[in-house]
Amino acid sequence: MGKFLLLAFRNVFRNRRRTAMTLMMVGGGVAALLLAGGYFRFMSNGLRESTIRNGLGHLQIFTAEHFRRDEVRVLDTGIENWRQVASVANAMPHVKGIAPRVEFYGMVSNGLKSSVFIGSAVDPAAEASLGFDPSLVNGTNFTKKADGDVEALIGVGLAKSMNVKVGDGLTVLAVTSDGALNGVDVQIAGIVRTGVADLDARYLRITLASAQRLLQSDRVTNLVVGLDSTANTDIVYAELAPRLGRFSQQLTMKKWIDLATYYRQVRSMFDGIFVFMGVIVFFMVLMASVNTLLMSMFERMREIGTMLAMGTPRAWIVGLFITEATLLGLMGAALGVAGGNLLGSLLNASGLHLPPPPGYTNSIAFRVLHIPGIMVGASLLVTVSLALASIFPAIRASRLRITEALAHV
Amino acid sequence: MRETDPLVGVENVSRVFAMDHSEVKALDRVSFSVGAGEFLAISGPSGSGKSTLLNLIGCLDSPSAGRVRIEGADTSALSQGSVTRLRREKIGFVFQTFNLIPVFTAAENVEYPLLVQQAGSSERRRRVAEALASVGLAKRADQRPDLLSGGERQRVAVARAIVHRPALVLADEPTANLDTANATQLIDLMRDLNHALGLTFIFSTHDQRLLEHTARIIRLTDGRIASDSVLEGESHGQVSAACIS
Repeated sequence: MGKFLLLAFRNVFRNRRRTAMTLMMVGGGVAALLLAGGYFRFMSNGLRESTIRNGLGHLQIFTAEHFRRDEVRVLDTGIENWRQVASVANAMPHVKGIAPRVEFYGMVSNGLKSSVFIGSAVDPAAEASLGFDPSLVNGTNFTKKADGDVEALIGVGLAKSMNVKVGDGLTVLAVTSDGALNGVDVQIAGIVRTGVADLDARYLRITLASAQRLLQSDRVTNLVVGLDSTANTDIVYAELAPRLGRFSQQLTMKKWIDLATYYRQVRSMFDGIFVFMGVIVFFMVLMASVNTLLMSMFERMREIGTMLAMGTPRAWIVGLFITEATLLGLMGAALGVAGGNLLGSLLNASGLHLPPPPGYTNSIAFRVLHIPGIMVGASLLVTVSLALASIFPAIRASRLRITEALAHV
Repeated sequence: MRETDPLVGVENVSRVFAMDHSEVKALDRVSFSVGAGEFLAISGPSGSGKSTLLNLIGCLDSPSAGRVRIEGADTSALSQGSVTRLRREKIGFVFQTFNLIPVFTAAENVEYPLLVQQAGSSERRRRVAEALASVGLAKRADQRPDLLSGGERQRVAVARAIVHRPALVLADEPTANLDTANATQLIDLMRDLNHALGLTFIFSTHDQRLLEHTARIIRLTDGRIASDSVLEGESHGQVSAACIS
């Protein structure tokens, strides 16, 4: 077995130029998969964390009713005794904090122009404790002003369409929980960017206290739970879920992944592109290697004839070719893993930034994560591809007529 | 194998090759037998059927008609696996162009038949050392074929052919690619192995240097035996082709 492997290993290096070309092709394929996979993972990890940090949190608690029907009146599916619920959740291990939210909508006007808004009311202190800081373009976050001076943050698109700036006043109109129309005057404290251009054109944020006054309700839409690490999401979910059942109002909990529709779509797009790349690399290696291995077989016909003449079982010849191809695949994979990681590190060190993708407003840092799973997967892919590519030449070699093979020049 | 069976029996063997629109009869009803320990040359001009006959005896090809028997067994009746095993265990091959595995050293080339037989490593080492010593190449064991002279390569090929103690060594034009000195050395070596180990040698050749050292010569002409001559020993005289075919 050892000598057989030695023979296969030495055969790999018989034609060094051809072997070098094959190794470059295989290594290039592996490196491409590593770079693409590492970049995609960086992007999806970044998107995951930014989605969570931008306010989604790791878990969100709602009433079960919230998902069963649309609200007839504002906040009629909201959480009533949310402070007790928050207190229970906050006592759990790994929980960093709880942020109550009210989601609402209405009209905003500056006296000259009106626009529809999508509103979010937050507790600034709770948001800050979870690191949910808005991305400010101008102005500041909420300050601790007196109640009479209600503050608002508005999206950069809404500010542009309303032609308002930091310090300007706006009237926010919404329907209360009793069905009456109510309004509050706000002063723009800051202009923010949500990262999604369509949302920027409609976004308005006020404090929870202001919203409850505006909507005439003490309820909240949901409670956002922030954890110390995304990896603990499942643990906290499993421990917190039974405790929520003790409240009279039926509550339910969603993980961030269930709520991050956009993240899931992007992740699935990345996965699709990566699988497509893998398929391309697989067939590229397969097709190119069949040709290379056939050339190798034709060059060694007389030698194969000699081995068969000496009583070598035909299965050994098949095994020899497959072993050679597998060795070639493993060496190419090692080269690709080394080259891909080196190139990835160089790209990471270069500080390269890519322009923002469609619908985004911020440029994206180009970073490649070094992911062992992708290294192993890409290496297996090319090795299997090469082994499969060798089957046809191997079978042809093993079926050679000995006398013809010996007469081959 | 019965005691009365010859080592090789060629019985009324013909071999016809189909060409595009015709057939070429390379061998035509050839019969003879070879006893154990013989040193036999198959001679004749190019195209007379020497290599074809050697291929049939070596079970590398099958006759179109007739039988080839090795130790009494009809090779045409054997399965593919049995034929492979027969070649592996009973026959050693020496080729005109040496046909050494270029990525193996001399010792590894000689070891190859033992690897195929799955012999133990210590036995392989011992037998390889003996075989290389017997052809005078013990000191060149670690050299790859490209660093050996033509004569040395052919001696490695002889060592490879005898290392697994076959009953029969078949050599196809073994001296054709060698100069006179190396050819003479190789002939002497094969003759010595024939005498010392009792190995049966059958080789095809038209090299007069080799024929001069041969005990028995079968001359082929147009695929038929023209003569079967015993040049030394006491058991045979010249036998006409008509008598044996």
